[in-house]
Amino acid sequence: MTSKRILSAVLAFITVSSLVVGCGTKKTEQPAAGSTPEAPKVAEIKIAFFNPLSGSNGDAGKQDLDGVQLAVEDINNAGGIKALGGAKIKLVVTDTTSEPKDAVSAVERTLSNEKVVAAIGPGISNIALAITPLLEKNKVPIIVNAINDGITEQGYKYTFQSTPKGGNFGNTQVEFLKYLNATYNLGLKDVAIVYENSAYGESTSKGSMEIAKNAGLNVVLYQSYPAGFTDASSLVTAIKNSKAQVLFPVSYTNDAKLIINTMKQFQISPLIIGGGAGFLWPAIYKEMGDSVNGLISVGSWNWDSKAIQDDSNLSAATARFEKKYGYFMTEHAGPEYAATMLVAQAMEKTASADPTKIRDYLAATEFGKGTFGGFMQPGVTKYNEKGWNSNVHPVMIQWQGGKPRTIYPAADAVAKLQFEAKK
Amino acid sequence: MLARWGTRGLVVLLIAALAAIPFVTDQQYLLNTIMMIFLFSALGIAWNFIGGYAAQLSLGHAVFLSLGAYTTIILYTRYHISPIFGMFVGAAVAMVAALIIGYPCFRLRGPYFTLSTIAFGEILRILLLHYVNFTGGANGLLIPYKGQSAWNLQFDSKAAYYYIVLFMLIAVYMFGKLITGSRIGMYLQAIRDDQDAAESLGVKTHNVKLVALLISAGITGIMGAMYACVIGFVDPGSVGSITMSIQIALVAIVGGVGTLAGPIVGAAVVTGLTEATNSFFGAARTGTSMTLYGALLMIIVLTRPAGLISLVELIKWPKKPAKANVEVASR
Amino acid sequence: MLTVVQSIINGLMIGGIYALVAVGLTLIFGVMGIVNFAQGEFLMAGMFITWLLNKWLHLGIYPLFFVVTPIMLLFGWGIFRTLITRVIGKSDIYQILLTLGLSIFLVNGAIMIWGPDYQSIPNTVKQAAWHLGPFMIPVARVVAFLVAAALVVVLEIIINRTEMGRAMRATAESAEIATLLGINPRKTFALAFAIGIALAGAAGVLISPLFYVYPQVGGLFNNTAFVVVVLGGMGDVTGAMFGGLLIGVVEALSATFISLDLAQLGVYVIFILVLFLRPNGLFGRSGS
Repeated sequence: MTSKRILSAVLAFITVSSLVVGCGTKKTEQPAAGSTPEAPKVAEIKIAFFNPLSGSNGDAGKQDLDGVQLAVEDINNAGGIKALGGAKIKLVVTDTTSEPKDAVSAVERTLSNEKVVAAIGPGISNIALAITPLLEKNKVPIIVNAINDGITEQGYKYTFQSTPKGGNFGNTQVEFLKYLNATYNLGLKDVAIVYENSAYGESTSKGSMEIAKNAGLNVVLYQSYPAGFTDASSLVTAIKNSKAQVLFPVSYTNDAKLIINTMKQFQISPLIIGGGAGFLWPAIYKEMGDSVNGLISVGSWNWDSKAIQDDSNLSAATARFEKKYGYFMTEHAGPEYAATMLVAQAMEKTASADPTKIRDYLAATEFGKGTFGGFMQPGVTKYNEKGWNSNVHPVMIQWQGGKPRTIYPAADAVAKLQFEAKK
Repeated sequence: MLARWGTRGLVVLLIAALAAIPFVTDQQYLLNTIMMIFLFSALGIAWNFIGGYAAQLSLGHAVFLSLGAYTTIILYTRYHISPIFGMFVGAAVAMVAALIIGYPCFRLRGPYFTLSTIAFGEILRILLLHYVNFTGGANGLLIPYKGQSAWNLQFDSKAAYYYIVLFMLIAVYMFGKLITGSRIGMYLQAIRDDQDAAESLGVKTHNVKLVALLISAGITGIMGAMYACVIGFVDPGSVGSITMSIQIALVAIVGGVGTLAGPIVGAAVVTGLTEATNSFFGAARTGTSMTLYGALLMIIVLTRPAGLISLVELIKWPKKPAKANVEVASR
Repeated sequence: MLTVVQSIINGLMIGGIYALVAVGLTLIFGVMGIVNFAQGEFLMAGMFITWLLNKWLHLGIYPLFFVVTPIMLLFGWGIFRTLITRVIGKSDIYQILLTLGLSIFLVNGAIMIWGPDYQSIPNTVKQAAWHLGPFMIPVARVVAFLVAAALVVVLEIIINRTEMGRAMRATAESAEIATLLGINPRKTFALAFAIGIALAGAAGVLISPLFYVYPQVGGLFNNTAFVVVVLGGMGDVTGAMFGGLLIGVVEALSATFISLDLAQLGVYVIFILVLFLRPNGLFGRSGS
């Protein structure tokens, strides 16, 4: 009896509140939906930002946010979207959290409540995989900054991926080692591949064993380790015993710190060719100070690659970023900055804030010199029929003077490998 | 008699009203939110069989959820078996796991039981990460969205999921009603009140708790399958982590331990609060909504240990005043 | 053979840290019967306080040990008076939930205040190591190990030899009897909880050279700490020390000889076996 009364009270509460919300939103939604696409003059255009700002990947998402916010600021300071009467861009920042379930809910909320014309998307793979179907259903284009192979394999028309894919990283690391061996006659053959058991680690080291073997290298250790472990000594003992000359480690922040410090303690110093993230983000500089100089890593993007240095527009953006936020533009911030600029360009060129027109422009256009498509290596962005920017490749960086500098491939390099500083 | 039919009628009316919501609005966010409330309500009711009625605080229900979810996705993507069947296979797998976990764990009491459920949760999470070829490892598994198909439980609109999950919630609720009224329900009540006394009266507490856990795991497995279909993506971090286990338990505890309607209140309040703070604070101050969530949890434990549903009890109903049948599970 | 010895050294070194984190947890459980799910978050708080004081006062990590530990003692006492005292004597469900809520609150509170970023405390000890023949012994971990051992000795003396310890043991046995003996159980509980939190803070200081300071850092240790406490026998301080060392060694050996990925699996399997076969802990003493 009582429980039935309670139940009815509960159901009543849910029903009434949702009916109130439902009716309310429906009424306000309709006129707005009708007016945006055709209107030539718009006061404000909304672009969504979807990234984890809390939870375990919050530190990466913060970099993404800084990049996009700067882009929006730059666009608005330059007079907004001129083809639409100088419309200003308003960024709708959504914290997806680091949980896919909550990400879906947060993205649904933004897509339901705000009339966004495009979205700049997650730099974290599982969040990207969870939310891209929603954008497809809502027909809102999204440019993501995550590296998972599957993101642009779903046949989605509204999903674009600017960055290299997982398998590319191992390839670049191996190519770089071959180049080192050839150029400096080092004869480094024995490599150890260690990666953390996370989506990022698994994606970037996928296939790297075969790539290394096919390149004639001798893989003496191929080992994954649990993400967020408390002690690297077992791993480093294994590296030591393997007598590897070269180490390819893929690690996030804390693990990278543990590995580097423990290797110092064990007094082993194979050539480290890091796998991005923990070896590349600002935290490692906070930790190691200037002793980080010499460290080599692969990266999906770097702030100073040749194409960026050659275009004063682009390099000015990276300088503004560093001035504003106090750290160099990272592989999370840079591609997101560029993505925002490409969306702005699409609106400018089509004189429209219609999501489908923006999508069509992104799909059809080659963003080369003079555009922010030049941000991505090799200086051009062109999405293929699946939505992947297939020309892109990772770069190799070396920490020099407290910042990562691009050293490879030759076409992107702006700095020379400093050998003495290697260790 | 009249009052009886009155409340029954009211419930039917309200269910009808809930069913009408998708006709009133096509706001996907609203439908998604209410659907998530339904889903977690059902999970909370399932958790309550063991956590509430048998008073065994499980923080390992992510095991059953992820087994249901993974089984369904693997059967669908590899063997092209519709999730409609897959979810029952998933439930069966979850129940087998429940047997393995429950059989030894029920010898433990109090915090020892809770810790053992956490350990089993971690073991499954490590295995899901390790067997990459089968489970996709840390990258998880994806249900590729290939257009509408009722057979594969793939829909463009949230409304379809909304109805399916609403139907499941009603079914789970009715089933719960049936169980609590049955002999098993009586035994469970006795165990909750005093395990030793129940045992001395000849109740095979171990077996009763095992049955409760099997029911709980089966329902959780099915809801896990549904979760997989709705989100379209599972990975060990999101479905297999202790965070998920805690979320399931919280829904029941915030609403009211050992009640059927409690988890519905709990799910509505927890989801509602999360969504409200998220949309209010947005990204301006990250962490705010979860901080409030932690604070709310502490406040409820300290001021309303019987759950929020005990607030409803305070309302004076016409006719005979309700006597609290929600008792605090004190040991 | 060299690898076996080095693995055992590795295991003992990380085991000392596990013990350090678990000692406070087991003390709180032993005296109050409460499983504190927020212990890792107090460790995180200790690390953040260390980081802040290092920035402001430019004191090194080891001098800060003597500043942070008392601060955490006060913090623990405050938390007891505002929150924990209210669930004493209630069902363990509510005790677990309260500390779970506290854990969520502290992690996200830290995110609110300091953001999700990773902070680092400048120090030189993190890469320092002694080399004995072919074996490597890391300095920071040896210090943590020795401090953990010293704290265990001090705690055992306090528990077994002092008036305060007598009160704690009596209260752990039964609050009612303690009251009859003229002991104030609330005061004893407050003291035990505050000391337990101070120990988490001490652990935070000592591991701050080894890990980044960030809001989720406590999560690295939470589960392991439970395992260690159960292995040692809940409430057994010396047991926690040995439990920590044992877990460290098991982890290191299985990482080296089975698989790094599955090292944790071995730990949980042992944990469950101990729960079933020796619920009073491996070392057999029934909790204090």
